[in-house]
Amino acid sequence: MSSFSRSAQQWATFARSWFLIDARMQPPGKIASMCSVRLQGKHKPIYHALSDCGDHVVVINSRQIAFSGNKWEQKVYSSHTGYPGGFKQVTAAQLHHKDPKAIVKLAVYGMLPRNLHRRTMMQRLHIFSDDALPDDIRANLTEELQQPRAIPRKLSEYTPEEVEAFPRLWTPPEDYKMK
Amino acid sequence: MTSRGTPSRFLKSVLQNGVGRYVCQLKRVSIVFSKKAQSSLGVRDFIEEGVVDYAKKNPGTVVYVSPQACNVPKIVAEYLNGNVREELVTSKTSQQISEILTKLTNQSGLDIIRLRKPFHTDSPSIQGQWHPFTNRPLLIDPKPPTASTK
Repeated sequence: MSSFSRSAQQWATFARSWFLIDARMQPPGKIASMCSVRLQGKHKPIYHALSDCGDHVVVINSRQIAFSGNKWEQKVYSSHTGYPGGFKQVTAAQLHHKDPKAIVKLAVYGMLPRNLHRRTMMQRLHIFSDDALPDDIRANLTEELQQPRAIPRKLSEYTPEEVEAFPRLWTPPEDYKMK
Repeated sequence: MTSRGTPSRFLKSVLQNGVGRYVCQLKRVSIVFSKKAQSSLGVRDFIEEGVVDYAKKNPGTVVYVSPQACNVPKIVAEYLNGNVREELVTSKTSQQISEILTKLTNQSGLDIIRLRKPFHTDSPSIQGQWHPFTNRPLLIDPKPPTASTK
Protein backbone atom coordinates (compact mmCIF):
# COMPACT_ATOMS: atom_id res chain seq x y z
CA MET A 1 0.00 0.00 0.00
CA SER A 2 1.00 3.56 -0.40
CA SER A 3 2.77 5.25 2.46
CA PHE A 4 0.61 8.38 2.03
CA SER A 5 -2.70 9.26 3.55
CA ARG A 6 -5.36 9.93 0.95
CA SER A 7 -5.08 13.69 1.04
CA ALA A 8 -1.31 13.64 0.83
CA GLN A 9 -1.60 11.11 -1.98
CA GLN A 10 -3.70 13.55 -3.96
CA TRP A 11 -1.08 16.27 -3.53
CA ALA A 12 1.77 13.88 -4.25
CA THR A 13 0.28 12.68 -7.52
CA PHE A 14 -0.08 16.17 -8.94
CA ALA A 15 3.10 17.60 -7.41
CA ARG A 16 5.49 19.24 -9.85
CA SER A 17 9.02 17.93 -10.14
CA TRP A 18 11.97 20.11 -11.06
CA PHE A 19 14.41 18.66 -13.58
CA LEU A 20 17.92 19.85 -14.20
CA ILE A 21 19.55 19.65 -17.62
CA ASP A 22 23.17 20.56 -18.22
CA ALA A 23 23.41 22.00 -21.74
CA ARG A 24 27.22 22.03 -21.88
CA MET A 25 28.34 20.80 -25.33
CA GLN A 26 24.83 19.59 -26.20
CA PRO A 27 22.79 20.25 -29.36
CA PRO A 28 19.97 22.73 -28.58
CA GLY A 29 17.37 20.66 -30.42
CA LYS A 30 18.06 17.59 -28.26
CA ILE A 31 17.84 19.74 -25.12
CA ALA A 32 14.61 21.30 -26.36
CA SER A 33 12.90 18.00 -27.10
CA MET A 34 13.74 16.74 -23.59
CA CYS A 35 12.39 19.98 -22.15
CA SER A 36 9.19 20.04 -24.18
CA VAL A 37 8.16 16.53 -23.12
CA ARG A 38 8.59 17.40 -19.46
CA LEU A 39 7.03 20.83 -19.67
CA GLN A 40 3.90 19.25 -21.14
CA GLY A 41 3.92 16.42 -18.58
CA LYS A 42 3.95 13.77 -21.30
CA HIS A 43 6.46 11.66 -19.35
CA LYS A 44 3.82 10.94 -16.68
CA PRO A 45 1.41 8.03 -16.75
CA ILE A 46 -1.33 10.37 -15.48
CA TYR A 47 -0.89 12.73 -18.47
CA HIS A 48 -4.08 14.31 -19.70
CA ALA A 49 -4.29 17.26 -22.05
CA LEU A 50 -6.66 19.16 -19.75
CA SER A 51 -5.02 18.51 -16.41
CA ASP A 52 -2.01 20.90 -16.56
CA CYS A 53 0.48 18.40 -15.17
CA GLY A 54 3.69 19.85 -16.62
CA ASP A 55 6.91 19.92 -14.64
CA HIS A 56 9.59 22.56 -14.22
CA VAL A 57 12.81 22.29 -16.18
CA VAL A 58 16.02 24.11 -15.32
CA VAL A 59 18.60 24.38 -18.10
CA ILE A 60 22.09 25.42 -17.07
CA ASN A 61 25.18 26.28 -19.13
CA SER A 62 23.12 27.46 -22.07
CA ARG A 63 26.12 29.55 -23.13
CA GLN A 64 28.05 26.33 -23.80
CA ILE A 65 25.62 24.71 -26.26
CA ALA A 66 27.11 23.09 -29.34
CA PHE A 67 25.65 23.29 -32.83
CA SER A 68 26.82 20.71 -35.33
CA GLY A 69 27.86 21.49 -38.89
CA ASN A 70 28.03 25.12 -39.88
CA LYS A 71 24.82 26.10 -38.13
CA TRP A 72 26.47 28.87 -36.14
CA GLU A 73 27.01 30.78 -39.38
CA GLN A 74 24.24 29.40 -41.56
CA LYS A 75 21.24 29.06 -39.26
CA VAL A 76 19.18 32.24 -39.44
CA TYR A 77 16.75 33.52 -36.82
CA SER A 78 14.17 35.85 -38.37
CA SER A 79 11.82 38.25 -36.69
CA HIS A 80 9.75 41.24 -37.65
CA THR A 81 9.42 44.31 -35.48
CA GLY A 82 6.07 45.26 -37.03
CA TYR A 83 7.37 48.50 -38.54
CA PRO A 84 7.94 48.92 -42.27
CA GLY A 85 11.33 47.51 -43.13
CA GLY A 86 11.50 45.92 -39.72
CA PHE A 87 12.39 42.42 -40.88
CA LYS A 88 15.43 41.34 -38.88
CA GLN A 89 17.60 38.37 -39.64
CA VAL A 90 20.51 37.34 -37.45
CA THR A 91 22.67 34.25 -37.58
CA ALA A 92 22.82 31.85 -34.66
CA ALA A 93 26.28 33.15 -33.69
CA GLN A 94 25.07 36.75 -33.54
CA LEU A 95 21.96 35.84 -31.58
CA HIS A 96 23.99 33.72 -29.14
CA HIS A 97 26.44 36.56 -28.64
CA LYS A 98 23.58 38.96 -27.87
CA ASP A 99 21.64 36.61 -25.57
CA PRO A 100 23.08 33.21 -24.61
CA LYS A 101 19.65 31.98 -23.46
CA ALA A 102 17.77 32.84 -26.66
CA ILE A 103 18.64 29.82 -28.81
CA VAL A 104 17.52 27.23 -26.24
CA LYS A 105 14.42 29.27 -25.46
CA LEU A 106 13.38 29.58 -29.11
CA ALA A 107 14.04 25.89 -29.71
CA VAL A 108 11.81 24.86 -26.78
CA TYR A 109 9.14 27.38 -27.73
CA GLY A 110 9.02 25.96 -31.23
CA MET A 111 8.57 22.41 -29.92
CA LEU A 112 5.66 23.18 -27.59
CA PRO A 113 2.11 22.81 -28.91
CA ARG A 114 0.57 25.96 -30.36
CA ASN A 115 -2.17 26.47 -27.82
CA LEU A 116 -3.04 28.68 -24.87
CA HIS A 117 -0.91 26.62 -22.47
CA ARG A 118 2.25 27.41 -24.42
CA ARG A 119 3.18 30.59 -22.51
CA THR A 120 2.35 28.93 -19.17
CA MET A 121 4.64 26.04 -19.99
CA MET A 122 7.38 28.46 -21.05
CA GLN A 123 7.13 30.10 -17.62
CA ARG A 124 8.09 26.74 -16.10
CA LEU A 125 11.29 26.69 -18.15
CA HIS A 126 14.22 28.28 -16.35
CA ILE A 127 17.33 28.88 -18.45
CA PHE A 128 20.66 29.95 -17.00
CA SER A 129 23.63 30.87 -19.16
CA ASP A 130 26.15 29.45 -16.67
CA ASP A 131 26.04 26.90 -13.87
CA ALA A 132 25.21 29.27 -11.01
CA LEU A 133 21.69 28.67 -9.72
CA PRO A 134 19.71 30.74 -7.23
CA ASP A 135 19.26 28.90 -3.94
CA ASP A 136 15.46 28.76 -4.16
CA ILE A 137 15.64 26.97 -7.50
CA ARG A 138 18.47 24.68 -6.39
CA ALA A 139 16.41 23.63 -3.37
CA ASN A 140 13.54 22.49 -5.62
CA LEU A 141 15.54 20.22 -7.92
CA THR A 142 14.63 16.55 -7.79
CA GLU A 143 16.49 14.94 -10.65
CA GLU A 144 19.28 15.66 -13.05
CA LEU A 145 18.62 14.33 -16.54
CA GLN A 146 21.30 12.54 -18.47
CA GLN A 147 22.84 14.54 -21.27
CA PRO A 148 21.80 13.35 -24.73
CA ARG A 149 25.36 13.49 -26.09
CA ALA A 150 28.57 12.30 -24.46
CA ILE A 151 31.05 15.16 -24.17
CA PRO A 152 34.37 14.34 -25.94
CA ARG A 153 37.42 14.95 -23.78
CA LYS A 154 40.13 17.36 -24.80
CA LEU A 155 43.75 16.19 -24.96
CA SER A 156 44.50 18.41 -21.97
CA GLU A 157 41.94 16.52 -19.90
CA TYR A 158 43.71 13.17 -20.32
CA THR A 159 46.21 12.21 -17.64
CA PRO A 160 49.83 11.63 -18.75
CA GLU A 161 49.41 7.90 -17.94
CA GLU A 162 46.46 7.63 -20.32
CA VAL A 163 48.39 9.44 -23.02
CA GLU A 164 51.34 7.08 -22.50
CA ALA A 165 49.07 4.03 -22.58
CA PHE A 166 47.54 5.05 -25.89
CA PRO A 167 48.56 2.50 -28.55
CA ARG A 168 51.07 3.81 -31.07
CA LEU A 169 51.57 2.72 -34.64
CA TRP A 170 55.24 3.63 -34.68
CA THR A 171 57.87 4.52 -32.11
CA PRO A 172 60.24 7.22 -33.37
CA PRO A 173 63.95 6.44 -32.98
CA GLU A 174 66.08 8.43 -30.52
CA ASP A 175 67.65 10.64 -33.15
CA TYR A 176 64.44 11.31 -35.03
CA LYS A 177 63.85 15.02 -35.63
CA MET A 178 60.25 16.21 -35.34
CA LYS A 179 59.49 18.86 -37.89
CA MET B 1 -30.85 8.28 -28.91
CA THR B 2 -27.65 9.93 -27.90
CA SER B 3 -27.21 11.60 -24.55
CA ARG B 4 -25.20 14.51 -25.85
CA GLY B 5 -27.96 17.02 -25.27
CA THR B 6 -28.45 16.18 -21.62
CA PRO B 7 -26.67 18.14 -18.90
CA SER B 8 -23.38 16.62 -17.85
CA ARG B 9 -20.36 17.31 -15.71
CA PHE B 10 -17.07 15.75 -14.79
CA LEU B 11 -16.85 13.64 -11.66
CA LYS B 12 -16.19 15.96 -8.77
CA SER B 13 -16.42 16.13 -5.05
CA VAL B 14 -17.21 18.87 -2.57
CA LEU B 15 -14.78 20.56 -0.18
CA GLN B 16 -11.35 20.67 -1.87
CA ASN B 17 -11.84 17.49 -3.80
CA GLY B 18 -12.43 15.49 -0.63
CA VAL B 19 -8.95 16.24 0.65
CA GLY B 20 -10.09 17.70 3.97
CA ARG B 21 -12.10 15.94 6.66
CA TYR B 22 -15.59 14.64 5.98
CA VAL B 23 -18.39 17.17 6.44
CA CYS B 24 -21.97 16.00 6.10
CA GLN B 25 -23.44 18.04 3.27
CA LEU B 26 -27.05 17.67 4.38
CA LYS B 27 -27.95 20.89 6.15
CA ARG B 28 -31.64 20.61 6.87
CA VAL B 29 -34.26 17.95 6.37
CA SER B 30 -38.04 18.44 6.75
CA ILE B 31 -40.40 15.52 6.98
CA VAL B 32 -43.81 16.63 5.69
CA PHE B 33 -46.68 14.26 6.46
CA SER B 34 -50.34 14.14 7.34
CA LYS B 35 -51.69 13.16 10.74
CA LYS B 36 -54.63 11.31 9.27
CA ALA B 37 -53.96 10.19 5.69
CA GLN B 38 -53.39 6.51 4.95
CA SER B 39 -50.43 7.32 2.71
CA SER B 40 -48.53 8.77 5.68
CA LEU B 41 -48.83 5.68 7.82
CA GLY B 42 -45.23 4.65 7.35
CA VAL B 43 -43.98 8.18 8.04
CA ARG B 44 -45.91 8.30 11.30
CA ASP B 45 -44.35 4.98 12.26
CA PHE B 46 -40.90 6.32 11.41
CA ILE B 47 -41.48 9.45 13.49
CA GLU B 48 -42.43 7.33 16.46
CA GLU B 49 -39.54 4.90 16.06
CA GLY B 50 -36.60 6.38 14.30
CA VAL B 51 -36.56 10.14 13.87
CA VAL B 52 -35.12 10.98 17.31
CA ASP B 53 -32.35 8.43 16.86
CA TYR B 54 -31.62 9.85 13.42
CA ALA B 55 -31.40 13.41 14.80
CA LYS B 56 -29.10 12.31 17.60
CA LYS B 57 -26.89 10.41 15.20
CA ASN B 58 -26.56 13.43 12.84
CA PRO B 59 -25.83 16.50 14.97
CA GLY B 60 -24.88 18.47 11.84
CA THR B 61 -28.36 18.19 10.36
CA VAL B 62 -31.47 20.06 11.46
CA VAL B 63 -34.56 17.85 11.38
CA TYR B 64 -38.01 19.39 11.07
CA VAL B 65 -41.16 17.33 11.51
CA SER B 66 -44.12 19.22 10.08
CA PRO B 67 -47.59 17.71 10.12
CA GLN B 68 -49.73 19.22 7.37
CA ALA B 69 -52.95 18.19 5.70
CA CYS B 70 -51.49 16.51 2.63
CA ASN B 71 -51.99 13.37 0.61
CA VAL B 72 -48.41 13.05 -0.51
CA PRO B 73 -45.94 12.90 2.36
CA LYS B 74 -42.43 13.94 1.40
CA ILE B 75 -38.93 14.49 2.69
CA VAL B 76 -37.34 17.81 1.70
CA ALA B 77 -33.54 17.84 1.98
CA GLU B 78 -31.49 21.04 1.77
CA TYR B 79 -27.75 20.83 1.17
CA LEU B 80 -24.85 23.11 2.02
CA ASN B 81 -24.43 24.12 -1.60
CA GLY B 82 -28.04 25.37 -1.70
CA ASN B 83 -29.56 22.49 -3.60
CA VAL B 84 -32.96 21.25 -2.43
CA ARG B 85 -34.17 17.71 -3.11
CA GLU B 86 -37.64 16.40 -2.51
CA GLU B 87 -38.35 12.71 -2.08
CA LEU B 88 -41.95 11.56 -2.13
CA VAL B 89 -42.57 8.84 0.46
CA THR B 90 -46.16 7.89 -0.34
CA SER B 91 -47.10 4.54 1.19
CA LYS B 92 -43.52 3.74 2.17
CA THR B 93 -42.83 1.68 5.24
CA SER B 94 -40.82 2.94 8.18
CA GLN B 95 -37.84 0.84 7.07
CA GLN B 96 -37.91 2.25 3.53
CA ILE B 97 -38.12 5.82 4.82
CA SER B 98 -35.13 5.20 7.04
CA GLU B 99 -33.19 4.02 3.98
CA ILE B 100 -34.21 7.07 1.94
CA LEU B 101 -33.11 9.37 4.75
CA THR B 102 -29.74 7.63 5.00
CA LYS B 103 -29.29 8.00 1.25
CA LEU B 104 -30.09 11.72 1.40
CA THR B 105 -27.66 12.16 4.30
CA ASN B 106 -24.80 10.53 2.43
CA GLN B 107 -25.28 12.48 -0.79
CA SER B 108 -23.17 15.51 -1.58
CA GLY B 109 -26.01 17.66 -2.88
CA LEU B 110 -24.53 17.91 -6.35
CA ASP B 111 -27.02 17.45 -9.17
CA ILE B 112 -27.40 13.87 -10.24
CA ILE B 113 -26.65 14.12 -13.94
CA ARG B 114 -24.68 12.25 -16.53
CA LEU B 115 -20.98 11.97 -15.74
CA ARG B 116 -18.40 12.59 -18.40
CA LYS B 117 -15.52 10.13 -18.39
CA PRO B 118 -16.99 7.74 -15.78
CA PHE B 119 -13.70 5.92 -15.27
CA HIS B 120 -13.95 2.99 -12.94
CA THR B 121 -11.97 -0.05 -11.97
CA ASP B 122 -13.02 -3.19 -10.15
CA SER B 123 -9.41 -3.95 -9.23
CA PRO B 124 -7.77 -0.85 -7.76
CA SER B 125 -4.00 -0.76 -7.68
CA ILE B 126 -2.30 -2.55 -4.78
CA GLN B 127 0.83 -0.50 -5.28
CA GLY B 128 -1.09 2.74 -4.73
CA GLN B 129 -1.71 5.72 -6.93
CA TRP B 130 1.17 6.97 -9.08
CA HIS B 131 3.24 9.86 -7.78
CA PRO B 132 6.39 11.49 -9.16
CA PHE B 133 8.73 9.27 -7.13
CA THR B 134 7.23 5.94 -8.12
CA ASN B 135 10.00 3.78 -9.63
CA ARG B 136 12.44 6.66 -9.46
CA PRO B 137 15.45 7.16 -7.22
CA LEU B 138 15.05 10.08 -4.86
CA LEU B 139 17.88 12.60 -4.94
CA ILE B 140 17.94 14.62 -1.78
CA ASP B 141 20.32 17.33 -2.94
CA PRO B 142 21.30 16.98 -6.60
CA LYS B 143 24.20 19.12 -7.60
CA PRO B 144 25.09 19.99 -11.14
CA PRO B 145 28.28 18.06 -11.96
CA THR B 146 30.00 21.11 -13.35
CA ALA B 147 29.55 22.98 -10.10
CA SER B 148 30.83 20.11 -7.96
CA THR B 149 33.78 19.08 -10.13
CA LYS B 150 35.05 22.56 -10.89
